[in-house]
Amino acid sequence: MKGTIFDIRRFSTHDGDGIRTTVFFKGCPLSCVWCQNPEGISLRRRPLYFENRCIHCKMCAAKSVNGGMKCRGDTMLMNIDASEDWEYLAELCPSGAIAMDSREYSVKEVMEEIRKDMVFYRHGGGVTLSGGEPLLQWEFALEILEQCKKEGIHTAIETSLYAEQEVLGKLLPYLDLIFADFKIMDGERHIKYVGVPNPKIKENIRYLLESEKKDQVIIRTPMIPGLTAYRDNLTKIAGYISRIYPDVSYEILNYNPLAEAKYHLIGKEFCFAENPEMYSKSQMREFESWARQGGVSNTIMEI
Amino acid sequence: MEGVFQTDRVKYLKDKMLSEPRYASIEQALIITDSYKRHEDQPRIIQRALALKASLEKIKISAEPEELIVGNRTAGVRYGVVFPESGSTWVDKEFETLPTRPQDKFHVHPEDIETFRKEIKPYWEGKSLEDVLNERYGKEINEISKVVKINQKDHAQGHICPNCVTWLKLGPAGLQEQAREKLTSCSEEQRNFYESVVLVMEGVRNFMLRYHDLMMELSEDQDDEAKKESMICVAKNCKKLSQHPAETFHEAVQSIWFLFVVLQMESNASSFSPGRLDRHLISYYENDIKEERITKQDALEIIECMWLKFNEIVYMRNSHGAKYFAGFPIGFNIAVGGQDELGNDYSNDLSFLFLEAQKHLGLPQPNLSVRLHEGTGDDLLFEAVRVVSKGSGMPQFFNDKAVIPSVMELGIEEKDAMDYAIVGCVELTTQGNNLGWSDSAMFNLNKALEAAMTGGICLLTGEKIAPDYGSLETYETFEELEDAFQKQIDYFMDKMILACEEVEKAHIDLLPSPFLSASIDDCMERGIDVTAGGAKYNLSGIQMIQVANLADSLAAVKQMVYDDKKIEPERLLHALKTNFEGDEVMRTMLLNKVPKYGNDVDWVDAMGTKWAEYFKNRLRTFKNYRGGPYHTGMYTVSAHVPMGENVGASPDGRYAGEPLADGGMSPVYGRDMKGPTAVLKSVSKLDKNLTTNGGLLNMKFLPEFFKNESGIRKFAGFLRSFVDLEIPHIQFNVVRREDLIAAKKNPEQYRGLTVRVAGYTAYFTELADELQNEIIARTSYGDI
Repeated sequence: MKGTIFDIRRFSTHDGDGIRTTVFFKGCPLSCVWCQNPEGISLRRRPLYFENRCIHCKMCAAKSVNGGMKCRGDTMLMNIDASEDWEYLAELCPSGAIAMDSREYSVKEVMEEIRKDMVFYRHGGGVTLSGGEPLLQWEFALEILEQCKKEGIHTAIETSLYAEQEVLGKLLPYLDLIFADFKIMDGERHIKYVGVPNPKIKENIRYLLESEKKDQVIIRTPMIPGLTAYRDNLTKIAGYISRIYPDVSYEILNYNPLAEAKYHLIGKEFCFAENPEMYSKSQMREFESWARQGGVSNTIMEI
Repeated sequence: MEGVFQTDRVKYLKDKMLSEPRYASIEQALIITDSYKRHEDQPRIIQRALALKASLEKIKISAEPEELIVGNRTAGVRYGVVFPESGSTWVDKEFETLPTRPQDKFHVHPEDIETFRKEIKPYWEGKSLEDVLNERYGKEINEISKVVKINQKDHAQGHICPNCVTWLKLGPAGLQEQAREKLTSCSEEQRNFYESVVLVMEGVRNFMLRYHDLMMELSEDQDDEAKKESMICVAKNCKKLSQHPAETFHEAVQSIWFLFVVLQMESNASSFSPGRLDRHLISYYENDIKEERITKQDALEIIECMWLKFNEIVYMRNSHGAKYFAGFPIGFNIAVGGQDELGNDYSNDLSFLFLEAQKHLGLPQPNLSVRLHEGTGDDLLFEAVRVVSKGSGMPQFFNDKAVIPSVMELGIEEKDAMDYAIVGCVELTTQGNNLGWSDSAMFNLNKALEAAMTGGICLLTGEKIAPDYGSLETYETFEELEDAFQKQIDYFMDKMILACEEVEKAHIDLLPSPFLSASIDDCMERGIDVTAGGAKYNLSGIQMIQVANLADSLAAVKQMVYDDKKIEPERLLHALKTNFEGDEVMRTMLLNKVPKYGNDVDWVDAMGTKWAEYFKNRLRTFKNYRGGPYHTGMYTVSAHVPMGENVGASPDGRYAGEPLADGGMSPVYGRDMKGPTAVLKSVSKLDKNLTTNGGLLNMKFLPEFFKNESGIRKFAGFLRSFVDLEIPHIQFNVVRREDLIAAKKNPEQYRGLTVRVAGYTAYFTELADELQNEIIARTSYGDI
């Protein structure tokens, strides 16, 4: 079996305990307007152009058959919709300025990469599946998780929970830690900003928090100015999850203005014309107090 | 650490020290010269002893009323000492430029230059170590200098860990007594040695008494009763130590400091190191605590006063040497933690107080090292990581699991191996019984490879510097290139060994060191000076420079030229000769299309380890002039810069003259793209036996990594894996704003620098301008 992976990042230190290797699955059914990994949304493999690396040798333009790479003066232009042998152009490029955004991996190949850092997992780390949405390629994810558990590797997942409950049920026995997003409580706003309705997500949260792994679940809300970071949203989310399980862990993630960089890279428009700043410690504490008013007592914040 | 703090006394003394100007001093040179003139007919060891004794008795001394620990080798702090016995020709050439040279500047009193040229230089011409060696073997040393840098040509050998325990137990009076006893029954050959020990110990005792007198004199003008009492206490310590061994903690610390001041006055050499000072001093500390003579806070203050003293002695090198060892490192290395001789985890209150002192002071000395092993307690490890997060680059970490078995393999007894310490930067040593010559020479493997590619021609000058064993134009296969490379290594290694022997002989003839010998086992027992082989262990260390570049270059040639045949060998040679002019595409391919050392790619890493192994195995077949083994190290201090200046363009895509990889085991700047764990994995493929003389791995982290306890915990886990991987050494630089600004300017050198962006970590150099600025703005220690 093959999966489409856009990165396998060793020494990840923000996606669970210890030192981890994070496998980024390509493709996501959601389309959050603020998405932090916009290159991960589409399942389609595509080339990327890193201008900083380019030495302007123009070899790509010379070998490009349908105008996929052109030069205008000293600027190189990439047209990703042109029909080109992009793998060939990426191979040709001496500097690595042209690169594919993802590649197909077998389970064996992913495991080989994961095993390289076994000596680090021993002291509290492991593997994290992220994305994109790992549940979109759940069969591939399942095989990796099964294999990791066989080899005694701690496993975590970062998911939007936008998937069938049956799928979640299949993966759950192999997961040691689940980061599940709950972004917007209001159904209509959820559709508007996240791109899909939220009842399925809410049901899956219920399922997780009623399961025997409820203490290994962390529900997360990213603070997006004006879109998720308002009182009503936080108190209601907190209310919903704490009514299911009063000791639920709830993490409030600060807004990260650096996501904008990636929009430049893939030529997409970012949701904010003027990029907002990170929230201050006191603002974060206020968000926390709203969540506590909603009924959550076990809050997590990195400030 | 709870409940202890930095006192106003320490803050005051620190500010005072840092504000003092740094001068070159000829005072001791005058005393030494005068002494030699008056004792011309004496054997050299007696001349040396008399010169040291005269220095100890005559040199101007000073002290601050606030000091708890006193003593220095000049009246001013951080003075650069002109030392004619080892070398003054370079001083003559460079005296005027000392205040303006690019690295390690010193102020100069103009009248000193004149005095130096009139009274010192003429006497030493043809007599100093530098001149004698130059006369005897200068031509041969020069001939191999493009590939091999021979050290200790104009200064005495340092990198030694004296026996602090014996010193504390006996003191100068006890050692003098011992030498006198030996004189009653010794042979004629031993007589001069023991007599020289008697002389120098007399000098040391007088030196200590002079500080007693000075502090008493200063205390007389003091109105503040508390200050007065403190000064009288310090004075009494000095007097006591001149006659008896140390008893209290305060005395023991003063005694240790005197030991290192005098070692410097005898040898003016880099890196005399105290070693495992937490073990040496613990009985004095515990006893004082038990007797309620001091509190933990008192002990910390005494320690911090000693820490300041370690920063008051700097080492003046010639301008060439200063490039290789920039920042006048003096290498007072102190090791904490580790294991006891039975293999039990070892740490005590002093281990933690030493870390606390480093946290408070953040100064370059002492060079603080933590020994780690599988059983290291979380308390010590976490505390050490917290100190790292402060950004001084200290402590550095050593790995018992790598060091102990590898030095035993070299022939060190188990009990000595278990008790190893570090001298200077990262050089490994046993304590109190070893003349390690850890800095004998540096062997530039990349220049040897250059000679193998060009048929022995220097790419930079076009001169013939080595035999012609073939070139890229003649080899049919990669294996033929490797064969020629091997021959170049052999050729230069043989010549290097001969040169090292000549250097050792000159040291035996000219620089016997009775004071040092008295504190190294078994010199006193055997009546043989340490330079002549009196120590229990007699090693010589050679540094392999730099395996990272070598692996990258060989991998690039193998893949691009011989396997994939994408570049013809003649074209590559041409590009190297012209420094890639007009061949930027080729250079970019060499740089980007071949994997590099540091990314956990087995075949590339193997390119480096293969030749490091070859070098080590062949080197180990030689014995040094004292009969001990040669062994290898992988570290540079700042030598990767001048060593790189000396190497032409290389197949790893490096331009002519660019620095080589820093550290010694670290990947080349900006080429480690898979993160810190991949770096550790690559480095771990270098067998621990390659670095018995010391290895150096440098890594950079952003301060945000240490922002909270979870980061500290992850970092501790990283270090535990470092132990498991049997890597001998690691040290951390916390990336500063300036580094990020530099990365923005020179992205190629920082390509591996990662920062947390959005959903995951990104390469800093690939971020858009304004985002780089944003990250620069948020990177500061204010967050910690």
